[in-house]
Amino acid sequence: MQVVLLAIVTFIFAIDQFSLTEILYRPIIACPIIGLILGNPQVGLVVGGTYELMMVGNMPVGGAQPPNAVLGGVVGTVLAVTAKLPVDQALGLAVPFALFGQYAVTLTFTIMSGLMAKADKAAEEANPAGITQVNLISMCILGALFAVMAVLAYTGGQAMGETLDSFSKQFSWLMGGLGAAGGMMRNVGFAILLKIMLSNDLWGIYLAGFAAAAVLGNVDATAGAALILVAFIGVAIAVNDFTLNLKIKENAGNGGVSDGI
Amino acid sequence: MASNATSYKDLTPAAALDKKTLNKMVWRSCQLQASFNYERMQAAGWLWGILPGLQKIHTNKEDLSLSMEHNLEFFNTHPFLVTFVMGIVLSLEQQKADINTIRSVRVAAMGPLGGIGDALFWFALVPITAGITCNMAIEGSLAGPILYFVICFGVEMALRYFLMYWSYNLGTSAIGALTKNAKEFTRAASMLGVFVVGALTCNYGAINLGMTIPNGEKPIVVQDLLNGVLPAALSLAVTLLCYWLIKKKNWSATKCILMLLVLGVVGCAFGIWAGDYTALVSVPWHA
Repeated sequence: MQVVLLAIVTFIFAIDQFSLTEILYRPIIACPIIGLILGNPQVGLVVGGTYELMMVGNMPVGGAQPPNAVLGGVVGTVLAVTAKLPVDQALGLAVPFALFGQYAVTLTFTIMSGLMAKADKAAEEANPAGITQVNLISMCILGALFAVMAVLAYTGGQAMGETLDSFSKQFSWLMGGLGAAGGMMRNVGFAILLKIMLSNDLWGIYLAGFAAAAVLGNVDATAGAALILVAFIGVAIAVNDFTLNLKIKENAGNGGVSDGI
Repeated sequence: MASNATSYKDLTPAAALDKKTLNKMVWRSCQLQASFNYERMQAAGWLWGILPGLQKIHTNKEDLSLSMEHNLEFFNTHPFLVTFVMGIVLSLEQQKADINTIRSVRVAAMGPLGGIGDALFWFALVPITAGITCNMAIEGSLAGPILYFVICFGVEMALRYFLMYWSYNLGTSAIGALTKNAKEFTRAASMLGVFVVGALTCNYGAINLGMTIPNGEKPIVVQDLLNGVLPAALSLAVTLLCYWLIKKKNWSATKCILMLLVLGVVGCAFGIWAGDYTALVSVPWHA
């Protein structure tokens, strides 16, 4: 019964880390709930508070994947409650699982790139239910992978952590490869946008945007706000172009009379 | 894949969206990242979020399909601030603006929000709330997690509501002046859009070489050499390669994705890409 509940809530937390409330999965909330399921909410609270403070420096900032908070918290609580380990030690032993959580995320994000073709087809057929399906499939894949990991931690305990550790060392190149490929895939998205938006006279503008981000993104003082500052420059260029073209249009309406001096 | 039409068949502006639909989309916006993926990031979640509005706006099937297609392109913004983009895009869709204009405005609006959202949430609200509530939890008080949830979720939802209505009204009121000069506006918006895509190519660039050539005291880091030539050069190169393959060689996006998948995995087997892993084949340039 505990296992089933554990699997269900982990399934939900796994989804929650990217959608739903995006708050429930935080260790300070997730760990006490796991603790409650395992019959010891007090330990859950302590693990949750401790892990949350650790995670504050490890935020999902700018789309980068930090060590996974969900599995770290869930497994840490499981180990602290069932094996009665001290909190710090339990969280330490949860690290291999947290790493696997990251792998599960990488894997799901890769698989879902392939499923975008299904979404395209739904769009072509103007079929909203198809889009709902794509989203549901993705959430289920992610939730299921995480639920399996939580159950493994519950049944296998510390020993399972060691097995995972050696497994992840052995296949780290494969996961590294998926991650590296993941870093490249967004460029396909850019390429498709460019295919539609980029007329021949706009190549310079594209490179100028690239240059602006290269400069602003590599200066410490402006790195955080790089894209906002880039947008400022872009707006200046666009508004200037807009007013200029309006003037040209107005002048053309006057039959070129105002053309002379 | 996106068809070549640049304007909707039915160009009569649709009726304004009612509160019920807007509220529904606010709640749906929570699922923005439901099918997050490396290729188009939040695209499917974005489309799902605005679908109730699109279905009201585009009553004929062809226009709905056109709109769904272009709203499935690459999309990424801060999840808590997405309703700001939703409101503007919906006001443009409602006026049946030119598709290129809608696309450009969408791209230009989504980029800068990421930095604002991170600063607001992960650097301010969450650390402050955690600082207050974590000690309560460690001392065994259930009020800790409850307070944490109420504060964070409350602020998140309040922002989602406020931004949706604010930007929808803003877009609706500004649009009249712009549709009068639609052609010029579309061009200016495209410029801004392309400029931002250029910035994203650099800013979101995540392709790094992991090779280090042993050289006594000062090993040569290949990526540093490359950065000296052009920062984010590989991101630009891969984007242009995919652009060329898609535009000139008629490759599909899926085919590009598969190629990159192979490139990534084979590269890591030989220790070429950066990352914390052990190469399959032992090579001198990757520890």
